[in-house]
Amino acid sequence: MFDEPFRWMEAISTRHSYVQEKLKKGQPVLAVPYQGGSLLMGFTAQPGKIFEVYDRIALGSLGHPADVERLRMTLLDMAHVEGFNRSDKDVTIARLLQFGIAPAMKQNFEEVMRAPYLVKLLFAEIDFDNRPLFFRLNYDGHWEMFKKGAVISGNDKETEWIQKQIEQTDFASLSLKQALKEACRLWEEGKKQGAPESGDAEEQPMTLAEAFDRWTLEAAVLSTETDRKALYRVLAPDEIEPLKSAAK
Amino acid sequence: MSDKPENFNGPGDFIDLLERSGYSWPKAIAGLTAIDKASLPQGTTVLAFHFKDGLIVAGDRRATAGNSIMYERCDKVIPIDDFSLMAIAGVPATAFEMARILSHNFEYYRRSQLQPLSTEGKIRALSKLLKDNMGLAMQGVGAVSPIFASFDKKEGKPYLYFYDILGAQFEIQTHTATGSGSPVIRGILEYEDLWGDKKLAQRDLKQAAKLAIRLLQTAGQFDSATGQARPEDKIYPVIASITGEGYQFMPEEELAALFQESTKRK
Repeated sequence: MFDEPFRWMEAISTRHSYVQEKLKKGQPVLAVPYQGGSLLMGFTAQPGKIFEVYDRIALGSLGHPADVERLRMTLLDMAHVEGFNRSDKDVTIARLLQFGIAPAMKQNFEEVMRAPYLVKLLFAEIDFDNRPLFFRLNYDGHWEMFKKGAVISGNDKETEWIQKQIEQTDFASLSLKQALKEACRLWEEGKKQGAPESGDAEEQPMTLAEAFDRWTLEAAVLSTETDRKALYRVLAPDEIEPLKSAAK
Repeated sequence: MSDKPENFNGPGDFIDLLERSGYSWPKAIAGLTAIDKASLPQGTTVLAFHFKDGLIVAGDRRATAGNSIMYERCDKVIPIDDFSLMAIAGVPATAFEMARILSHNFEYYRRSQLQPLSTEGKIRALSKLLKDNMGLAMQGVGAVSPIFASFDKKEGKPYLYFYDILGAQFEIQTHTATGSGSPVIRGILEYEDLWGDKKLAQRDLKQAAKLAIRLLQTAGQFDSATGQARPEDKIYPVIASITGEGYQFMPEEELAALFQESTKRK
């Protein structure tokens, strides 16, 4: 069936369309720096958007929960075995991606008889010089690095707009409170920018008030202000409550 | 297909993961001829007791092999996770490996299962490691006798356990000590708890830390394998506490000042 190059290319193209269609409703997840580390945030109907991977690495995700879980476990396994056998200093996102899951995801995507991963992943890392780094991994294994923050979303227009705003905002000079507020603002504005022009009925929350009402804001930080080895901390309800109240 | 399930010990078990990646805990060495135990480095004196806000865990810094002092800056109180410490006496090679496995095991469980391992689970995990080490312990080349201290956030309560070299675990309500200098200080700890100014569990952090310093200095008087502090070289015992806020090691400057205060007669 795929012995002719054209057939294979067509199958790959169809596969891209299939995965993009499946991810279309994936809600934005933002990862940005702030004065004391990195912040990840996103609204979700079901818990399971933002996770801790290793001492200085966090993960944001969208897509099919089973695929997210499978890749999350693969990353956890790789990171912990590497950290145990060598050192925590050898566990970096770049290594996990470049020599770990990115080639496997590419191979999976191009093996057209296998089910593709329906995911997009976002990573935040604080390196050992306390510099924040951000990475985005696509379902086909393509990954990119960002210095000022990054976003993933199922909607390309939304992604492009939010990414541009992140690049133009000096998040690194903001306090955690300010950074979270600004990230929420970009989330809401991004939803507007990505809304279909045809005026199709949109069932998903489009404003912060609707999102807080129907969904849960998941937010976590990698904090350089802690003296613990593991920098990851989920934001407490009292850190989120002021935003919720202000959005009403 | 293998008959062995992927997660033999249940999901989130780091030891399973290690074994799948080719690691195995060393078993007893077949045909091992008699070994000169004096040639193996040994950890010496560690102690722990309940104080007002949680637990104090302390240890001297000396590692010996027979009559030789091998190292004077050995850290025998090891953080396992934010709320757990392990204090080791015995063969450091085995003890440090156990601590590394435990630390990765607890963190791997917390991250993969999205909840911390229960205190009971943590206590059992160390017991299992010691049990798996029984062969080497009985051959005399890998015996470890640790203390495990943990604060249960849910219960708001500290837990202190002493283990024998085969993995039996004993919950301690007041105080415990292990290592070659421990017989010297166990009596003093009991005396202090029964007839001291305050019971151990009623003392504040400073009072508890002062007692720990004095106990280790005393152990060093009677036991050559326990290292006394050497302020001129900035070598002090390790003093750590665990409370509801997690573990905290006493910083060197604070320790130096407290050492001076502790070693002067009232």
